[in-house]
Amino acid sequence: MPEVEAVKLASEEILQQGYSYINRSYQRVDALDKVTGKIKFFSDMKIEGMLFARVFRSSVAHANIVTLDTTEAERLQGVRAVLTYKDVPGLNAYGAIIPDAPVLGYGKVRFYGEPLALVAADDQETAEKALGLIKAVYEPLPAVHSMDESLKPEAPKLHDRGNIARHALILKGDVDRAFKDAHLTLERTYRTQSQKHMFLEPEAGIAYTDELGNLNILAGGQNPYRDKMQVARSLNISPEKVRVINYPAGGAFGGKDDVTVQIHLALLATKTKRPVKLVWNREESGIGGFHRHPSLITLKTAVNDDGRLLANDSHIYLDTGAYQSFGPTVLDVTIEVINGPYLIPNIRIDANLVYTNNGISSAFRGFGGPQGNFAIESMMDEMAEEMKMDPIDFRLKNLAKSGDIGPFGNSMRNMEGIHEALSRLRNSPLWQLGKELPPKPWIRRGTGVAIAIKGVGFGTIPDYPTAAVELLPQGKIKVLFSNPDYGQGVNTGNAQIVAEALDLPMNEIEVVNADTQYSPDTGSSSASRGTFTSGNALLVACNKMLDRLRMEAALYLESTRDGIEYASGRFLIKGNESKSVSIYDLAKGLRAKGETLKFEGTFEVPRYPEPVKGTLEVPHVVYMYGAMVSSIELNTLTGYLDVKNVDLMADIGNVINPLLATTQCEGGIVQGLGFATSEELVYNQDEKPMNTNYTTYIVPSIADIPKMYVEFIKTYEQYGPYGAKGMAEIPIVPVGASIANALKQASGVRYYQLPLTPGRVLSKLHDQGQG
Amino acid sequence: MEIEVSFVLNGKRVTVKAPPAKSLLRVLREDLDITSPKPGCEAGECGACTVLLDGKAVTSCLVMISQVQDREIWTDEGLVKDGQLDPIQKAIAEEGGSQCGYCTPGFVMSAKALLNSNPHPTEKEIVESISGNICRCGAYPRLVQAIKKVANE
Repeated sequence: MPEVEAVKLASEEILQQGYSYINRSYQRVDALDKVTGKIKFFSDMKIEGMLFARVFRSSVAHANIVTLDTTEAERLQGVRAVLTYKDVPGLNAYGAIIPDAPVLGYGKVRFYGEPLALVAADDQETAEKALGLIKAVYEPLPAVHSMDESLKPEAPKLHDRGNIARHALILKGDVDRAFKDAHLTLERTYRTQSQKHMFLEPEAGIAYTDELGNLNILAGGQNPYRDKMQVARSLNISPEKVRVINYPAGGAFGGKDDVTVQIHLALLATKTKRPVKLVWNREESGIGGFHRHPSLITLKTAVNDDGRLLANDSHIYLDTGAYQSFGPTVLDVTIEVINGPYLIPNIRIDANLVYTNNGISSAFRGFGGPQGNFAIESMMDEMAEEMKMDPIDFRLKNLAKSGDIGPFGNSMRNMEGIHEALSRLRNSPLWQLGKELPPKPWIRRGTGVAIAIKGVGFGTIPDYPTAAVELLPQGKIKVLFSNPDYGQGVNTGNAQIVAEALDLPMNEIEVVNADTQYSPDTGSSSASRGTFTSGNALLVACNKMLDRLRMEAALYLESTRDGIEYASGRFLIKGNESKSVSIYDLAKGLRAKGETLKFEGTFEVPRYPEPVKGTLEVPHVVYMYGAMVSSIELNTLTGYLDVKNVDLMADIGNVINPLLATTQCEGGIVQGLGFATSEELVYNQDEKPMNTNYTTYIVPSIADIPKMYVEFIKTYEQYGPYGAKGMAEIPIVPVGASIANALKQASGVRYYQLPLTPGRVLSKLHDQGQG
Repeated sequence: MEIEVSFVLNGKRVTVKAPPAKSLLRVLREDLDITSPKPGCEAGECGACTVLLDGKAVTSCLVMISQVQDREIWTDEGLVKDGQLDPIQKAIAEEGGSQCGYCTPGFVMSAKALLNSNPHPTEKEIVESISGNICRCGAYPRLVQAIKKVANE
C-alpha cells in the first residue's frame, strides 16, 4: 500500500521509538474503491424484487391530528403497503437518549415534516403518487418558533412535562461574592444558529429479510448496535433477528447518529416481505433530518485587576426542537466547555434544553462544543481587550496547568500541549498580516484567536468497547469493529494499529467495518471516540491472539513460551533463528483442532466513577485541545467576510496517520467556516424550513475556503492506542470565535451572533457608524 | 412514452429505452448500473453527478436522455483501463482528496475535463474547474493538490 509523503510527521522522537506503521501517512484503505466510483453506497444498491419507499410527512408544525386517511393510497395500483402508527408493533418511539419521538406520528404533530405514514410501491413514481393520495386533517395549534417564545409562561406546551426538556445547575465557589470583589465584570449574550449536516448522500438505506428469517438493514449510520436495538424495540422482535450494516455512508457528521431510515425500512420490509429501499431526497433531508442545536448563552464573567478570571456565571439554552434525540448529552458538552480550559474559582452553570417546533436538533460534530466555545472565547477576547492585555497573554495567564483541579473537580492532565500550541500561535505570520495595509480603502484586515477543549468519548458513562481480530490461515488478519467509517478514516487508522501490534504489513490487514453480524460492539462513531475505543480494544484482542499463538508455537518449536520470540508474523527460538513458524501455519493447526481463530478484546475507557452533580456524563478523563488563529478581510461596502487564513495547532495525542489527521482537521475547519459565516437553516411562518438545497443553504465551496495550516503538537496520551486521543471534533470547535474575534479587530465592532453573513455584518457596521 | 436512445458510454455503444425527459443520471444509475454519478441534489447544485459529455463536464441530473443521442459519455468507472487507475484517480487517493467518497467521482470528472482540455492549468483554473462540486468533508485543498500533481507530471 503506498505511503504518502508530504505531511510532516507528528513526532520525530516517537518515530525513533521504532514504530513501523504508526505516524505514517498511508492512503485510506478504501481510497481506490472511492476514487474509481467502485464502492457501492446503500443508495446505489439494487436488490432483485425490491420496492421503493417514501415517507408521508406533516405539512404543519404544531397540530392535533384529526384524521389520517390512507385508503386511496392503498388502492393505487403498484402500492404494496401503506403504514401508519397502528402498524408499529413495538414501541412507537425512537431517540438515542430518551425515546420520545414517534416512529410514525399519532395524536399530535410537533414539527413540520414529522413522519406520519410510509408507502412502499413497485417503483419510485408510484410511491410518490401514493403520497399525494394520503389525506391528513389537522386541528392547528399555535407554533413555538424560538426558544424566546418557548420560555414565555403563556407559550403553548409541546409536551406534557412543559417546554424545558432538561435543566441542570452546577455550582462551584460563590459567583455572587466574586462579582462584588471583581475589578471588571462583563455580561454578554451570544446566539448561534441551526446548522444542517448537508452530507452529500442523504439519509438512505435498504432492508430485506434473509432466508434465515433475519431482518437485514443496510443504512448509512453511526452506531449499528444502537440502530439494531432501536429497530428491535419498535418491531417488538429479538435484537438477535436484526442485522445492521452502517458502512459505507456518504458523510454523517452526527446527523446519522440517531436513527433516520432504519425503523421505517424495517417496518416496510417486514410487512411486505420484500426488499425495500428508502432514500430521502434533498428537501426531505433538510426538513426531516437532524441539525445542530441553536444556542442562546449569557455569560457574566469577572476578572481581578491582574487579569485573572474570578468568576463565570453562564445561562445556557439549547433549542432541541420537537424531541430530545441527543439533546440531553449535547447540553452536557456545552456545560463542559463553557469555562474553556481555564482556571476559574467561582462558577455557576444554569443550563436548559428547550423544546420548540423547529425540527429535531441532534448530534453534529462538536456536539454543543462550537456553541459554548463561541460564547466563552468571544468573552475571553473582549475581556482581554477591556483589560488592555494581549489576547494570547490573557488566555495563557488563565489557562489551567497539569495537576490543577478543573471546573468539575477533575484533575487537568497533559496541559503542556495546549500551552505550547497557544504560545506558538504568537509566531504565526497571520498576526503580522493584520498590520499590513489593506489592498483597498474599503477593505479592513483582522486577526483573531480562540482555543478549544473537547472531551473524547462519553465522559463518566461506562464504555466497554469490544473489537476482534481474526487469523485467516490463507495469510490475512481480519480486523472487526463496529464504529462506522463514514470518511473519518477509522478503518485505516485501525489497520495501522493492528499492523503495528502484530508487526505485519498493511496488505495483510483486512477491515470488516460496522456489520453487526461480524463486528463486535465497539459502539458508535461519535464524540471523537472511534480510534480511541476501537484502537484500544483491538490492541487487547491482538495481545490475546499473540498470547494463544505463543503457546502453540512453543509446542510446535519444542520450546517454552519464554524460550521463543515473535517478529513479523513468525515465532522463533531465541538465539536459533533458523527454527521458526509462521502464525498462519499455527492457524491451520488451531483450526484442525476446532479452535476459534477469532480473538475479541474489550477495553475499559478510563472515567470518573460518577458524573458531577447536575450532569449526565461530565467530566472526561481525556480531552483534546486546539488553538486557532484566523485572519480575515472585511469588505465594508458589502459586509462580506473573506476568511484568508486559518492556522490550527492541535493536541490530539500521538498521530496515527498524519495525512488523514490533517485532512480531517482541514475538513473540520471548512465546516466551521460555514457555521461561522454562511450556514443557517431558516423557517417560514409555518415553521417550514425554507433553504434545504445547496443554492439556498450555503456550504463552503472551493472558492470560499481559506489557506489552512494544521500542525500537531507532540504529545502522547497514556490511555490512548499508541498514544492517540481522538480528533474529529477539535478543529470545528474554535472556528466561530476565532473568526468573530478577527472581525472585531477588523471592524471595531463585536458580533455576538452567528453566522456572520454579509447582511448581519453590514447592518451592525452601519448601526455602529463603522460602515 | 419511451424513446430509444443510443450513445457511447465509456467507449462502448449502448442503447436504452426511456422517457425522453428522464435524466441522464437516472438512466445511468437505474438502467445501466453505472452508479459513480451520485444524486446529491438532483438540481445541478452539488456536482456529485458530474460526467463528461463530449469531453465537457456536465451535471448529469440536468441532462435529459433525449439530448445524448450519438454523443460520447464518460463516467468515473470508465477511466480505469486494464485495471490501471487514471492519473487523477491515483492522485486524489494519494493526496487524501477523498474522505467519505460520495462526491469523489464528481470531482474526478470535473478535474478530468479540465486536464483533458488544459494539461497544465493555473491554480485559478483548477479552482474554477471544481467550483461547482461540493465536498462536505472539506477535502478541497487536497483535491487542488491532486490536480496540481497530475498537471506537473
